Amino acid sequence: MSAMFSQNPVMNGPNYSFSDAPRTNNGEFREHRFNPYSDNGGSTLAIAGADFCIMAGDTRHTSGYSINSRMAPKVFRIGGSNSDQSDATIALSVCGFAADGNALRDQLDTVCKIYRYRHGKPMSVHACAKRLSTILYNKRFFPYYTHAMLGGIDEEGKGAVYSYDPVGSYEREQCRAGGAAASLIMPFLDSNVNFKNQYVPGSGVGHELKERERHPLSRPVVETIVKDAFDGAVERHIEVGDNLQMMVITKDGIEEIMLPLKKD
Amino acid sequence: MPGFDFSNYNRNLALHAQGVPLPKATSTGTTIVGCIYDGGVVIAADTRATAGPIVADKNCEKLHYIAPQIWCAGAGTAADTEFTTALISSQLELHALSTGRKPRVVTCMTMLKQHLFRYQGHIGAYLVVAGCDPTGTHLFTVHAHGSTDKLPYVTMGSGSLAAMSVFESQWKPDLNEEEAIKLASNAILAGVWNDLGSGSNVDVAVITKDKTTLKRNYITPNEKSAKLQSYRFPKGTTAVLNEKIIKKDDIGRYVSVQEVPVEGGDKMEVDA
Amino acid sequence: MAYGRSAGVLNADGIHVDMQALKAGEVDLGTTIMAVTFKDGVILGADSRTTTGPVIANRVTDKLTMIDDNIWCCRSGSAADTQAVADIVKRHLDQHAVHHGERATTGQAASILAEICYANKDMLSAGLLVAGWHPRYGGEVYQVPLGGSLHKEPWAISGSGSTYIRALCYRNWRENMEEKEAIQYVKESVREAIRNDGSSGGVIRLAVLTARGVERWLFTPDDDYSKPTDDKPQKM
Repeated sequence: MSAMFSQNPVMNGPNYSFSDAPRTNNGEFREHRFNPYSDNGGSTLAIAGADFCIMAGDTRHTSGYSINSRMAPKVFRIGGSNSDQSDATIALSVCGFAADGNALRDQLDTVCKIYRYRHGKPMSVHACAKRLSTILYNKRFFPYYTHAMLGGIDEEGKGAVYSYDPVGSYEREQCRAGGAAASLIMPFLDSNVNFKNQYVPGSGVGHELKERERHPLSRPVVETIVKDAFDGAVERHIEVGDNLQMMVITKDGIEEIMLPLKKD
Repeated sequence: MPGFDFSNYNRNLALHAQGVPLPKATSTGTTIVGCIYDGGVVIAADTRATAGPIVADKNCEKLHYIAPQIWCAGAGTAADTEFTTALISSQLELHALSTGRKPRVVTCMTMLKQHLFRYQGHIGAYLVVAGCDPTGTHLFTVHAHGSTDKLPYVTMGSGSLAAMSVFESQWKPDLNEEEAIKLASNAILAGVWNDLGSGSNVDVAVITKDKTTLKRNYITPNEKSAKLQSYRFPKGTTAVLNEKIIKKDDIGRYVSVQEVPVEGGDKMEVDA
Repeated sequence: MAYGRSAGVLNADGIHVDMQALKAGEVDLGTTIMAVTFKDGVILGADSRTTTGPVIANRVTDKLTMIDDNIWCCRSGSAADTQAVADIVKRHLDQHAVHHGERATTGQAASILAEICYANKDMLSAGLLVAGWHPRYGGEVYQVPLGGSLHKEPWAISGSGSTYIRALCYRNWRENMEEKEAIQYVKESVREAIRNDGSSGGVIRLAVLTARGVERWLFTPDDDYSKPTDDKPQKM
């Protein structure tokens, strides 16, 4: 009888199993695999005005709780005729995995430069936006891990902002916040750019109340909103800080402004 | 029944098995330090509390009272540091009352380590214990699993490496009070600037055999920058669909109403 | 599964291997420790590195812990577990002295310690060496490895760094060494372990237990552990 319960492996057969491979605490098989992605934090913001467009981003580059760089820009001029990009008319901002962001920027820039060489004129934002979408979708099953935004002046001379998901779905928008603090900045933009949920005081009773009318914002107002949005994000998000990089795109070209942010 | 309430344990386990995530505790991804000097000991902490990547509190207090001459700096799970230090403080007070002696730092450290060891690391309190007692000046670290260390200068929390780099390059034996405060607060600043889990202000506590001085917000290098424009909405911006006013006298029939004078202190931050 | 610690798997020999022996964030004494008998008593030796993952939590740790006047132990494994066990054993030995009017023998101390380690083996990751000098038995060394078994040895090594120096220790060991030789033997062995093991480092601490009592020596990496920091040992 006692032999029935014997712990002797010789009598019971081997009491181990090769199929009992190491598992994680969740009960899944533990795999030793290289993770090709990482998150470098940071946040971006783009607002289109009547005849201009502002692309902004902080310059902090992080991994985990560490700061890799306090000056790693996320907004780039695209499609200039040479490497200094002095005559560029389009700006790209990328947020998320910085290495993918840089690869995406290089690829789009090359495409724009080839276009300029072949056609003897710069690419329109409209065309560039579509091309960026196809570049992203080309890597549908190994995506660029980025939230990309494109800014420029359209063929009618109006400010244009396009925002993308990592696999190329895109939309032209009035304004958009991306990256780590997007959920903090976007509601602020809804209120102060699109005047959402706001009514004209005393314009009526109950449902007769008139909505506050939207109007194109001036450049100084947009710059102020961008700075205040980032000051707010820096207060409450640990991955945002150091410097604020702003690119102001007008018909005369792209102007770059660098402002200090909190560094803690 | 003393101790923790485990009555939701099995329910939560079942929920967790179905994929419901565990509630996220506020963690003080922190920089805390301590440093012994000639005649006393100084401890310091940053004031940022985080919940994931979001700053939960910009000016929290991480320096905890244990006894008049014994203070604790806490890192790890905010609730655990708060309640563990409060529990040991209470027990030590009773111990001091029954023995008629001033509490000792080793006693405090031993009670902390035995409490934390019993809970096998599930109480996530990482503490720097410092103080003066009749046997001298003492400085310890206590880890969540119950291990302790005794050293002349210590750092803990996510910014511990940044802070320790300051100590390892600038610490020397026989510091005076001024130098020790300077060194400890510089160590915290290293964490504030270089560790994302730490930020905002520097709190310092100086303990000598005669007295304890708590320097709350000793350094404030991260004042919020003023907004560039006003974001005040004109009155009436929000739609009011219906309105019902209940007067103080009416509500007074159900509950007692009392005027509370508005005092200073932690008022809510509001932009102009 | 949720109750107790059931992580880990059976290996090819049918032995339960707990891969998560150290809980996340636990302080580890990734260590080199040794204890050797010599002509007049015993010597304990240890490095001084304590780590939490890749971070050195303490670079000047004293892993040699007094559990009775002339009985000391070397701790390896979880810092929390070994400190708790050492504290409990110390309490038992103090009570023993009060009850019996004399200090416990090294063997008694070691068996109390082994008993605790065996009874709680599913909870503990502690590898300990007990070394003591007793007027009746002279110097003795006992080893209590992970499961809580008890082994009397003329010399013993333990901790992650010990694997690098096992052959060296066998080659250099001699029965009834003189004190000077024994100190050199321990110090040079630990030094070699520190050289090879990333989890060992810092200073080398020694405790010499003889009829004279306890004497402590300290060697630092400033001079590659060649000379002790003081000419005379620190008496305890």
